[in-house]
Amino acid sequence: MSADTPLLSLLTTTPLFAVGLTLAAYLLGSALFQRLRRPSWLPAILIAALLLAGALALIGLPYTDYQQGAKWLTVLLGPATVALGMPLYQQLPRIVELWRPLAICLPIAATLAACYSLAIAWLLGSSDTILASIAAKSVTAPIAIGITEQLGGTTALLLGALLVTGVITIPCVSLAARWLHIDDERLIGFALGLNGHAIGTVRAFEISPTAGAFASLGMSLTGIFTAVLLPLAWRLVGMGG
Amino acid sequence: MPALSGFLWLISYWLIGEVVIHFTALPISSGVIGMLLLCATLAVRGRVPNNIAAAAQPLIALLAMLIMPGVVGVFFIIGELAGQWTAILIALLLGTLLSVVTTLWLLKRLIGQPNVR
Repeated sequence: MSADTPLLSLLTTTPLFAVGLTLAAYLLGSALFQRLRRPSWLPAILIAALLLAGALALIGLPYTDYQQGAKWLTVLLGPATVALGMPLYQQLPRIVELWRPLAICLPIAATLAACYSLAIAWLLGSSDTILASIAAKSVTAPIAIGITEQLGGTTALLLGALLVTGVITIPCVSLAARWLHIDDERLIGFALGLNGHAIGTVRAFEISPTAGAFASLGMSLTGIFTAVLLPLAWRLVGMGG
Repeated sequence: MPALSGFLWLISYWLIGEVVIHFTALPISSGVIGMLLLCATLAVRGRVPNNIAAAAQPLIALLAMLIMPGVVGVFFIIGELAGQWTAILIALLLGTLLSVVTTLWLLKRLIGQPNVR
């Protein structure tokens, strides 16, 4: 009997299937993450995403169909980003204390975050489209998508670059912090948010609320700075458009 | 009901962000504008109202789950860029390591040992 397809399309007539699948993968991924004793090289979000991708492939649900249903969850990203204003406010005194070094560090670090990867990709002979797609790799997704469209890149590739960057930022930060003898949660948080956007910020909140607040600060400032300057710089270099 | 009214506040700030973007054409997401406005409002009021905290806390805890649907998309474009992946991956891995080291090194140089002053 070929009851498979009708059943699947019956289940996916409402977004509940995609939402349930996402919740299940997330909870299972988090549980596995705890079981594995929280490895820094394998964040819970990556385990959950792998489980979810495996499940989609297994039941034969096309990604676009899943995405359609999961929109009911992703729409909450807007208010959740707004919610980050609360920890930001709670840590405001510590941030004000450090505003001068942070203000100097941000433009340099955010520029280099884009330039290093662009230079390496360019040296390795990547096409203009690829360069345009990975340029916003350290910017939080809702902002990065806008930037990439302006530069003429591919959104799917950008999201891939975002995932890789976010995931790799976590072990990079713990490695570099050990190497440079840094154990200040404020610095670690800021570096996580600046380089690893939302994924880094999620990790920073696992460390402490202070690290999380500095990560949200780093993430939002990097987003604003890059969104304003990258399209301008792109035009100056005479690429895409 | 405090969580519900707090949630309404968060949505309102997001919508204000949309309006601001519509009139200023700023290349920033409405979520970030809403976040900055919320932070400014709390700073003016001098405290976090219970309803905002009741809505914001659980939402922040769920951030990781909310970005999952987007993250999963990556596994479905792998085939499209065959042959380019090595260059892209090297650029992302090496570039991120370099920029993380630079960020931390800069911060350390600029902030130094704040406790030893």
